[in-house]
Amino acid sequence: MGKLHSHLIAAFVWGFFFTVCNYFLLLMSVFFFRKKMKIFSESHKTVFVVDHCPYMAESCRQHVEFDMLVKNRTQGIIPLAPISKSLWTCSVESSMEYCRIMYDIFPFKKLVNFIVSDSGAHVLNSWTQEDQNLQELMAALAAVGPPNPRADPECCSILHGLVAAVEALCKITEYQHEARTTLMENAERVGNRGRIICITNAKSDSHVRMLEDCVQETIHEHNKLAANSDHLMQIQKCELVLIHTYPVGEDSLVSDRPKKELSPVLTSEVHSVRAGRHLATKLNLLVQQHFDLASTTITNIPMKEEQHANTSANYDVELLHHKEAHVDFLKSGDNHTGGNSREGTFKETVTLKWCTPRTNSVELHYCTGAYRISPVDVNSRPSSCLTNFLLNGRSVLLEQPRKSGSKVISHMLSSHGGEIFLHVLSSSRSILEDPPSISEGCGGRVTDYRITDFGEFMRENRLTPFLEPRYKIDGSLEIPLERAKDQLEKHTRYWPMIISQTTIFNMQAVVPLASVIVKEAMTDEDVLNCQKTIYNLVDMERKNDPLPISTVGTRGKGPKRDEQYRIMWNELETLVRAHINNSDKHQRVLECLMACRSKPPEEEERKKRGRKREDKEDKSEKLGKDYESDKPWQESERLKGLLDREKEELAEAEVIKDSPDSPEPPNKKPLITMDEMPTVEKAKGPMSLLSLWSNRINTANSRKHQEFIGRLNSVNNKAELYQHLKEENGMETTENGKAGRQ
Amino acid sequence: MPTVVVMDVSLSMTRPVSVEGSEEYQRKHLAAHGLTMLFEHMATNYKLEFTALVVFSSLWELMVPFTRDYNTLQEALSNMDDYDKTCLESALLGVCNIVQQEWGAAIPCQVVLVTDGCLGIGRGSLRHSLATHSQRSESNRFPLPFPFPSKLYVMCMANLEELQSTDSLDCLERLIDLNNGEGQIFTIDGPLCLKNVQSMFGKLIDLAYTPFHAVLKCGHLTSDVQVFPRPEPFIIDEEIDPIPKAINTDLEIVGFVDIADISSPPVLSRHLVLPIALNREGDEVGPGITDDTEDENSANQIAGKIPNFCVLLHGSLKVEGMVALVQLGPEWYGMLYSQADSKKKSNLMMSLFEPGPEPLPWLGKMAQLGPISDAKENPYGEDDNKSPFPLQPKNKRSYAQNVTVWIKPSGLQTDVQKILRNARKLPEKTQTFYKELNRLRKAALAFGFLELLKGVADMLERECTLLPDTAHPDAAFQLTHAAQQLKVASTGASEYAAYDHNIAPLQTDFSSSGTERM
Repeated sequence: MGKLHSHLIAAFVWGFFFTVCNYFLLLMSVFFFRKKMKIFSESHKTVFVVDHCPYMAESCRQHVEFDMLVKNRTQGIIPLAPISKSLWTCSVESSMEYCRIMYDIFPFKKLVNFIVSDSGAHVLNSWTQEDQNLQELMAALAAVGPPNPRADPECCSILHGLVAAVEALCKITEYQHEARTTLMENAERVGNRGRIICITNAKSDSHVRMLEDCVQETIHEHNKLAANSDHLMQIQKCELVLIHTYPVGEDSLVSDRPKKELSPVLTSEVHSVRAGRHLATKLNLLVQQHFDLASTTITNIPMKEEQHANTSANYDVELLHHKEAHVDFLKSGDNHTGGNSREGTFKETVTLKWCTPRTNSVELHYCTGAYRISPVDVNSRPSSCLTNFLLNGRSVLLEQPRKSGSKVISHMLSSHGGEIFLHVLSSSRSILEDPPSISEGCGGRVTDYRITDFGEFMRENRLTPFLEPRYKIDGSLEIPLERAKDQLEKHTRYWPMIISQTTIFNMQAVVPLASVIVKEAMTDEDVLNCQKTIYNLVDMERKNDPLPISTVGTRGKGPKRDEQYRIMWNELETLVRAHINNSDKHQRVLECLMACRSKPPEEEERKKRGRKREDKEDKSEKLGKDYESDKPWQESERLKGLLDREKEELAEAEVIKDSPDSPEPPNKKPLITMDEMPTVEKAKGPMSLLSLWSNRINTANSRKHQEFIGRLNSVNNKAELYQHLKEENGMETTENGKAGRQ
Repeated sequence: MPTVVVMDVSLSMTRPVSVEGSEEYQRKHLAAHGLTMLFEHMATNYKLEFTALVVFSSLWELMVPFTRDYNTLQEALSNMDDYDKTCLESALLGVCNIVQQEWGAAIPCQVVLVTDGCLGIGRGSLRHSLATHSQRSESNRFPLPFPFPSKLYVMCMANLEELQSTDSLDCLERLIDLNNGEGQIFTIDGPLCLKNVQSMFGKLIDLAYTPFHAVLKCGHLTSDVQVFPRPEPFIIDEEIDPIPKAINTDLEIVGFVDIADISSPPVLSRHLVLPIALNREGDEVGPGITDDTEDENSANQIAGKIPNFCVLLHGSLKVEGMVALVQLGPEWYGMLYSQADSKKKSNLMMSLFEPGPEPLPWLGKMAQLGPISDAKENPYGEDDNKSPFPLQPKNKRSYAQNVTVWIKPSGLQTDVQKILRNARKLPEKTQTFYKELNRLRKAALAFGFLELLKGVADMLERECTLLPDTAHPDAAFQLTHAAQQLKVASTGASEYAAYDHNIAPLQTDFSSSGTERM
């Protein structure tokens, strides 16, 4: 590699010599102006016009050794004579390299139209996005083949290509079309600018002038045509880049000329470049100028040696990307470019140091920009090692080399779906430092959020791409994101935020119902499961199973068992009612619920408690949605209650955990006070005649005698004996509640 | 968005103002009065803003470095001396340095310039600076536009008529123009008095320092929040879409994504999302570093004990390692996530993506993201071991598709040697040999580099003659066949030089036996 470098140094020195001053000025002027975005700038459309006339078949007179001798096989063999590329080959491969870099960094909205010119113009592709890739262009170029040195030079000209280029610039691209259609009456805002890069072998400065005049005239004519057409657009601005290329060792007949305005529409610049790698270097510089690119050299990349697998040496890899990735260096003037003379040139590159990644830890970095990259030397071993490493899913942090002081990580390389991006990480002081912790703000002192349940909710509401268009029943296009919003709406119709606000979500037994009732449509099986769940709850009630209702905060033992069930049934009803309009099947679940839940005791309860309670119930129904109260005295009373509870809890638990940051405390007893229950008493749904009748009979019978406890608690008329033993052994809490939750 | 207050302390600021009543005011008193009002507003409603105070005349001085301690700023206001003439350019240069040293070049800052509209005389005066603006080199560049995103607010302790009587207003307007139009000039309406100064600063506060309140929604779960710093309107494309877009005050969560899938996305800005309790007057209670009164304390305590959706969301995002995608407006999205400041403190943060239908290529179009329940099978897998992200682009990038580049001789030599290496291991390496050969052939045809095809053909023929006696007989057949095929392609004749054509291995008796042996 060292040997190669010395070759390259020579090449680069000369290649840069002519252009370096221009390049420097350009870089300086971009230091302080963050360009505002414009989709349809000159770089939206680039037309390549490459000369295919007989003289382009001439050799560039720069030899390539292709028959490199391998050790141990050299005896007696004379290596094959070196070969050289033609002017055509040099032009084509340099322009392909230009396109490669451009497509890597701007896969969309930056388009190339490739035209080859000899006795006529051959347009190799169109502006459509499908035509924008190297494979298409390479195949088209292969079909054209090298120029025929025996063709008649008189009938060949670059002018055909230039005329075709102007024509192409008038053609509308799909992006312009889309923008014009969406803007409607403001369609004139859509710009039509473009750039023509013409690689030819000119005869003299006056020949160059003639080419420029021709382009100008053609633009003038075509703009007239375009003015009367719906499919064509007038060219507002055209940048003509004429590259005169000639064999190494010859004198150039054409002089360089910086960009000059020929007319308000046309600017032109002339570059006189020797063929071979000089031409490639020139186009590499041009692609950087045209697309506002900058270069970053990743240094200190450890790489296994090919020969000695257990040793590794450090390599450098140069990448190109949009210059915004250097915005911090450019603006602060703190760039690390000055001293970099690895290649003995003034090449502007920012050096960043590789930081070997520790683990594959998933972190969310504060990233202010991400820009696609393209390696300068795509096929070199260091480049492909780096890109393969990244494509395999690893990310690499990059550090600013500093002589002293702390380490500053300023960038990160990372691939996303086979594309590598240079991420700009914020390394300056944060304006958000030392913010108040969330636990200090509203809701920060509440300790029993349903963190785990909401985590489960989030996982169920994750997103996935739907690339195929889907249609609603009415034939209109369905927007997946709107479906996602709908689902969130359904899933949150009844969603208590804290454990002490809910009973049913603390019961494993309710899960089968709760998980399907939120669905838009239920299957028959779902309905069956819901019914089973309800029957199961009825069983539990009959058995007098305890419910995970907290007794904390209530004086004495807390609500009686039947009161607990009343609360549970009310809550379940609230949940199911929130969804009855989804479908008939949802309605069926409610019917089942209404039929099964026991009512009579509750009815009596109601009478006993009177009206005041109802007020409170109505209010607590609002809980979770709305804290504003039109009855301030009630509000403050409620808050006082909350505070009291909190105090008691404090006494019990000694410490209040910083709720949002810590997972909810294990085996935490749900907090509940009766009045806080979001019980909802709306009009009851229909009841079957049978259940009405049997309820009546049962009530009537029950008045006549006291029911056996065994029968009351029996399942299928079988009563379990010695239940109290079980309770004493502490089975109580684990039976039906989610005792194992964490 | 940090603020730099740049206060003019030149002699002209001591000009008296005729106020009815006994006390005599100077312009600097009016200025101090206005700033006091600004600082008081920030101390109550914009507590997290960092503010610095710079005073200037012909020299400039950083009186108070960036701080959230508004008492210090207030004290500094009352300790200002009077100096000589106004020299704005050096002060603005000073602002550049101060801001860049503290925040770098990426963080937007607001610069509040308080002056009386007397712009100095001679060298260093604004007139002089503007007159020489076009003749400057990079080394003594005018400090505007500021090298960081900025707003320049000029608070004039003078009324419009006074400024228009000289060219002061024009000069100040040019100043704003130089800052790419980012900023505004405020003048006193009517006579110079405390009341009118208050109303002028009131306008500034309304424009730049009103807290941004929004409602965070996830279906029916909602929370009132303050978003700090205020999200600024954004211009998508100055040509196509020149109207700045502002974010909605309804922040609607559309779904959730794992942190690994969102993968450190680029963002325009990031903001704290602080839950607030709105009371009857509409003032919020909640966010803030210190609370002065006991009333506020108890109000905060009460608010702390009411369950809040932000806290629930934050807790779950943190535990699960996920982010919530949030819609900010038409075709504008952001993400909510938990951000830890230290081990103990953490917060709900919101980052804004660049507006547009597809802010992150690896997520695809945002509108095309839908609930997993709509998918035929769970794209995350039954055991949560898969992910539908990242999306793969249609075309591979050059570094992922083994392109051929021969610009440097080493590129060409490597490709030729690969063929040669495989040629020496025929027939075992027949497949790779032809793969490399065809790759070279394709590139040579595209580049019109037919001479290379001939050269490689010659080389293969030579290899054939150099085969050792022990070589498999098939090797010689394959080499000759390959060489011959390259030769015909090198003529460029269309029947042999088709780009899509591939040279296939020669079918020999040996080749079949060869594969059997393997």
